[in-house]
Amino acid sequence: MDPFLDPIAIEQWARDVGIFGMMNSKWGWPIAEIIHFFGLCLLIGTVGMFDLRMMGVARGVTMKELHRLVPFGIAGYAMCVVTGLLFVVTAPGQYLYNPAMQMKIVLMAVAGVNMAMFYATAAAGVNAAGADDLPPVRARVIGLVSLSCWLGVIVAGRLVTFFRPPEHWCLWCVAG
Amino acid sequence: MDAIFASIEQTPFSVWMREDLYAYFIALIFHSIGMALLIGGGIVVSLRGMGVARNTAFEKFRGFFPVMWFGAVMAIVSGLALLIGYPAKALTNPLFAVKFACLIGAAMLVREMALRLFPAMGPGEAAPAWGRRLAIAALVLWLCGVAAGKLLLHTYTILLVS
Repeated sequence: MDPFLDPIAIEQWARDVGIFGMMNSKWGWPIAEIIHFFGLCLLIGTVGMFDLRMMGVARGVTMKELHRLVPFGIAGYAMCVVTGLLFVVTAPGQYLYNPAMQMKIVLMAVAGVNMAMFYATAAAGVNAAGADDLPPVRARVIGLVSLSCWLGVIVAGRLVTFFRPPEHWCLWCVAG
Repeated sequence: MDAIFASIEQTPFSVWMREDLYAYFIALIFHSIGMALLIGGGIVVSLRGMGVARNTAFEKFRGFFPVMWFGAVMAIVSGLALLIGYPAKALTNPLFAVKFACLIGAAMLVREMALRLFPAMGPGEAAPAWGRRLAIAALVLWLCGVAAGKLLLHTYTILLVS
């Protein structure tokens, strides 16, 4: 018994507000998937390429300039979150207790903490670096962690369908 | 054509791709990462062509090409493995051709940008109108390639012929 989440209630809510019907229409799910992967591409194309630059790829491109692309990555992230929520509330039983989905959430959380670390400790050094400079080691490590997390998110996303029910992971159920 | 599909489907590699617990998923994972790196690099180049991050010479963005090549090789090799697993599923779906046309078109536009736009756009310089149109077209084609790829799963009419 899950002490925190109620998949039946979540799905009922999705039915009540029309999300379930929309997602189960002929094109609802495919369109949401397309938007989800668009978002991921934007994220990898901006944040991922910024991470690679911090790791030393494409020297000659100033990191300060490349950082101007990050808002596109944030837009991509928002697209992923919105469509991801549509998937989860439409089929909560498939996602909430899915180990791949749980790993995906963990990786996104690590990426979020890593991003906060970047802005708190490394952004100033990166912005001050010249076009051909390698950034400080801390920034390079942050770039590596960030890129690994986002590629891990893609891997975990692909594995969601591998761990369909009856796979049922619920550590918080045991704790509760 | 069905005979060709059937003969591919009966090869040991094709059978292994379908029946092994992990093979298909591993190929799918590599395909997704490869596509993300290829299209991610394509997006960053297109955005610079459209005028974002313009204080860096466009030429310097050539540094992202190795990432795109790495992604392309990963996507092609894994894509071939997926194709051999279910040849009829992909090759009888017109969207497969659309996906290819979009990705090849986008790659050709990036090449065109590298040849004509990169040398012309130093730091702070915006692309000429035709260059911006080229960059927008490349971005649209990358995204249409993604859309067509995603729709393959929902639009196939034949899974196997054998």
